[in-house]
Amino acid sequence: MAEFHSLNSADARPAENKGGAEQAPPSFKAARGRVGRTRGRIGEILFKILLTGGGFVVLVIVAGILLSLIVNSVPSLAAFGPAFLAGTTWNPSGGEFGALPFIVGTILTAFLALFFSLPFSLSLSVLLGEYFRKGPFAALIRTMMELLAGIPSVIYGLAGTFFIVPLIQALEMGIGFVPYGVGIISASIVLAVMIIPYSASLGKEVLELVPEELKEGAYSLGATRTEVVTRIMVPYSFSGIIAGITLALGRALGETIAVTMLIGNMNAIPENLFAPGQTIASLIANEFNEAGADLHRASLLELGLILFVITALITILGKYVIRKMSVGGSS
Amino acid sequence: MLKRIFSVAALASLVLGTATAQTSLTGSGATFPEPLYRKMFDAYNKQTRVKVNYQGIGSGGGIKQLTDKVTDFGATDAFMNEKELAAAGAPIVHIPTCIGAVVVCYNIPGVNTGLKLTPDIIAGLFLGKITKWNDPAIAAENPKVKLPDMSVSVVHRSDSSGTSYVFTDYLTKVNAEWKDKVGMNKSPNWPTGIGGKGNPGVADLVRRVPGAVGYVELVYASVNKIAFAQIKNKSGAYVTPSLKSASAAAAVDLPDDTRVSITDTDAKDGYPIATFTWLILYKEQDYNRRTKAQAKAAVDLLWWVVHAGQRYNEGLYYSQIAPAVVKKCEYLLKSVTYGGVPLLK
Amino acid sequence: MEDTILKTMQDVILKTEDLSVWYGETRAVKDVNVSFAKHKISSIMGPSGCGKTTLLRCLNRIHELNQAVKITGRITLNDENLLDIDPILVRRKVGMVFQRPNPFPTMNIYDNVMAGYKLNGFRLKRSRADEIVERSLAGAGLWKEVRDSLFKRGTFLSGGQQQRLCIARTLALEPEVLLLDEPTSALDPHAMTKIEELLVELKKTVTIIIVTHNLGQAGRISDYTSFMYLGELLETGPTESVFTNPKHEETEKYLTGRIG
Repeated sequence: MAEFHSLNSADARPAENKGGAEQAPPSFKAARGRVGRTRGRIGEILFKILLTGGGFVVLVIVAGILLSLIVNSVPSLAAFGPAFLAGTTWNPSGGEFGALPFIVGTILTAFLALFFSLPFSLSLSVLLGEYFRKGPFAALIRTMMELLAGIPSVIYGLAGTFFIVPLIQALEMGIGFVPYGVGIISASIVLAVMIIPYSASLGKEVLELVPEELKEGAYSLGATRTEVVTRIMVPYSFSGIIAGITLALGRALGETIAVTMLIGNMNAIPENLFAPGQTIASLIANEFNEAGADLHRASLLELGLILFVITALITILGKYVIRKMSVGGSS
Repeated sequence: MLKRIFSVAALASLVLGTATAQTSLTGSGATFPEPLYRKMFDAYNKQTRVKVNYQGIGSGGGIKQLTDKVTDFGATDAFMNEKELAAAGAPIVHIPTCIGAVVVCYNIPGVNTGLKLTPDIIAGLFLGKITKWNDPAIAAENPKVKLPDMSVSVVHRSDSSGTSYVFTDYLTKVNAEWKDKVGMNKSPNWPTGIGGKGNPGVADLVRRVPGAVGYVELVYASVNKIAFAQIKNKSGAYVTPSLKSASAAAAVDLPDDTRVSITDTDAKDGYPIATFTWLILYKEQDYNRRTKAQAKAAVDLLWWVVHAGQRYNEGLYYSQIAPAVVKKCEYLLKSVTYGGVPLLK
Repeated sequence: MEDTILKTMQDVILKTEDLSVWYGETRAVKDVNVSFAKHKISSIMGPSGCGKTTLLRCLNRIHELNQAVKITGRITLNDENLLDIDPILVRRKVGMVFQRPNPFPTMNIYDNVMAGYKLNGFRLKRSRADEIVERSLAGAGLWKEVRDSLFKRGTFLSGGQQQRLCIARTLALEPEVLLLDEPTSALDPHAMTKIEELLVELKKTVTIIIVTHNLGQAGRISDYTSFMYLGELLETGPTESVFTNPKHEETEKYLTGRIG
């Protein structure tokens, strides 16, 4: 990254000189003398414009999404103000809308999923980033992980319905809960499986980047492989692991179809982890199609806005942690 | 913005339609009669070469797309209320096409059939006030049934739905507490329970969760072999939901515009949670640069639906509309005009 | 020949017997027999690729981390075959300092010094740990420079200081032998001098074996010098005699800069 940057600025400097009024004639002459160079330079400029354009498009898209969410949720923003965030009633027939149950549902499922997935994604990262970096077994596991990442979420929803729901149901019967089977816990478990590839693959990449000399340094002090992994490699790649977690969390926060199929779709703050709930994404999927009244639509869009903000906050927080934790960040 | 996209789509379909020299009609709305409409429109296409595109996007969406003038007709399980009619900007005609029944289905191990429920018990279950299947109120109505000491799990629709509308319309009529606390809506504020998406979603959850109680269209309970309850109607008789008892519920005095709720029917052998489902269209068909041929095709289609098309109803678990209702439909369809001139004679 | 060398060495602490190292089919170190004297500095020289680093890395068995490597022969520490002992224990007794300073960037200076204990899961009393840290840093000549910043990360230190921190980290485990693999090649002359002075001081308490490319360094600090060429150990002897009167033609060529 840094190298790319310095290359770029080194190239930019002579270009500026050529553009300068006084120096222009001689350098133009020189340039004309070598046509190939000129063509290269134009290509350079075009390439740069293309790259800048790409960056600009991203900016416009993000701003556009944000703006359209804000504009469309104006009726709800005006009607409820900040109280929308704390409201617990969602009653389309009564025209009363509150976001809290869905904010709670969204954050609860996402973090629970993260909690369930961490042991697996971390061990997968270590397995692929240290123990099995090459060979048929590593290739197999890696392929399986890519496959997991590529499975459409509706398939996860179905798999959850057939494998997780009956298990949870049996558990609920055992401990005396209402045996819904669907609910926060089922949605979180399936979400956990869905996000494993995201944090695991990034974790693997960063663990592979740990300098060999650091590992040898630790080995030469009599550390075992486990100690090298847990005390040297993981701390060293902590920021990258956090980046993977942030990515996974973002996926969990926004996942819609699988959650809708498994969360129980109850518009209330869940009383416990086995209770049904609703996330922002699943609520929008359930209701937006037929949301007739303007206020209902606006409220759903405001929820979309809230989800956007939550995701953005987590990304920013993740970036902050990454900067704080990254090795050499203090120097 | 959205409107513009739709009109472009409509324009595109129009262009494509003329290109293949085949009249094509577009409609959208209720999902409940969608299987029936698909069957009918397919048969109609084979007979007349008129192609009908139907999208089951929900009753609310159907009304919206019609009043946005992007479809030739809409479909809804709940007739348009005064506010919606006013928003339409011009008179709308409702044509009932079939009668559907919503059944209260349950999953009580050991009770495979014949559970009897009163309106108050149903309201109690869905309000979360009756929480055990061996509740005295249920036991009193079912002395011969061995009811387990099992928790009630309420299952409702998670999406906005005409089925929910009919079901809550019924509960609102029969139970004061329900009327106060919840009322009738396509997506009501459920006091308890879990939500499933669509009729299949609810049917699936009821089948999976022991102790579940839910509501689905008759066809879904029948096809999925889920037990459903007999319900005590207004005249005090226990009625098993069926095509016949749903038809009987519709044997009431019909207003001329056919906009009527037949839940909690007065009919003695009528099943109390039944409803008409309607196709809707503008009374004046000359709008949005539609051709007269297009308008005529739409009216012809609806005429066919209430006459020859009716023979498809029962095979798909929808009740036929009674001859008296057909008469009203004929009268209504004859009132549809193009440029002020009736399209049918 | 070997006998004469051994006679001049009092107290052999570390010895290899017919040590060979294979990478698959290629042999990087060929039947090396060498002895290292206690509390002396022994240097191993030779042109690049001669196997000197490989030999050094065998001595604390860190070379075996590479699974493609096969080692035959014996390495004895105080007459005990190291190849029969758990490599983890070997590495605590035979410490190693690498070419490039590699303090652990996630730890502060204090923890870097204590890393050997922490990594091995030893729990020490605070006072005992403090003592080890001070002794090790003082031993590495770093105490005065870092005593006020013990709890900062070591990454702000200069290259020479970082290398001395790595020496301190190794000294903390009180090893019998200290292996250094070209420890000053990445440092400036000033830092190099400091490390060399330090090693001369350290040999009072620990046996030092150093691989170096730098003839001057070998001449300045080592008591014994070995010369390796193409995987073979050609000669070993007191530094002065190897430098002034090499027995092998290749040694002489190397010393005069004709190979290397």
